Amino acid sequence: MVLGFCLAIAATFFFGYRAGRTARHVRWQDEPIQSWMSVPYVAHTHHTSSELLFQAIHVRPNPRDHRPIREIARAEKLPVAELIRDLRKAIENANPPGSEGIPPSGKAP
Amino acid sequence: MLDQLLAALTEYGAPALFVVVAVAAIGVPVPVTLLLIVTGSLAAQGAINIWLAIAMAAVGSVAGDQIGFAVGRWGGKKLIAKFKWILGDAERLKNLDAKAKSWGGAGVFFSRWLVTPLGPWINLASGAADYSWFQFTLWDFLGESFGAALYIWLGHVFSDRVQEVGTIFGDLTWAILGVLVTAFLGWKLFFSHRTAGKTGPRVKHSPVRKLAEKS
Repeated sequence: MVLGFCLAIAATFFFGYRAGRTARHVRWQDEPIQSWMSVPYVAHTHHTSSELLFQAIHVRPNPRDHRPIREIARAEKLPVAELIRDLRKAIENANPPGSEGIPPSGKAP
Repeated sequence: MLDQLLAALTEYGAPALFVVVAVAAIGVPVPVTLLLIVTGSLAAQGAINIWLAIAMAAVGSVAGDQIGFAVGRWGGKKLIAKFKWILGDAERLKNLDAKAKSWGGAGVFFSRWLVTPLGPWINLASGAADYSWFQFTLWDFLGESFGAALYIWLGHVFSDRVQEVGTIFGDLTWAILGVLVTAFLGWKLFFSHRTAGKTGPRVKHSPVRKLAEKS
């Protein structure tokens, strides 16, 4: 029971600390692009237009296209990493660091 | 697996949400909080109707909880009888049953949205403890609806920061559970220490007691 008590205290501090740390950094970190996200979803989380992102990966723009990036990659016969890289590049070009669209990545001022 | 679930949610919307939350309510470990927050973000983008999403999440979770309750009701007692040597004698089980019934409503309600990892266990325990099905379903529906509305709304508000918000709430849930377990075990340790202090060997062999025995 003593061991369980100590473990419970340790777990409380661990998860509490982790939640606090994430909360402190939440404003300054870009949402990482994941393979499950759709192009309109990426556009929304990065404050850019979905049309621009569709064009960057050479797919006909359609705001109702909610296929995940992995599905698009499969259909286009391209690696997922390549599509994500193209999307990231298009976002960086549309919102250069320091502009209003995206805060400078990763770092607090 | 999480990526596949999120991909299904992004592509198929509310029906995928219904299936995933129902499966999670049965006891399959799925980060439902994160899924609900992502659903809120999808609703903010107009990909899912927010009211439909809340309804699907609530009804799906209640459906899964009903399965857990039914398993506890019709199979729980056999399982308890099998593990009698761990769980204790009939008197102790009777006490546990009474406790489960007295805490039933609050336990069901808070385990739906605040301490979600306990949810599937509470379903089984409520079924096994012969807790009223009507009461269970009522508190279950209220808790699941509140939880679905809360997390989907949060995802709607923080729609461009869902992963971080999901991580924060996931960690907070475990931290709250940690606080509850710490409080429970601390309380148990305190009382067992006090009882040992009153009836333990230190009292038996104390100089005062020896003097009293001599006289």
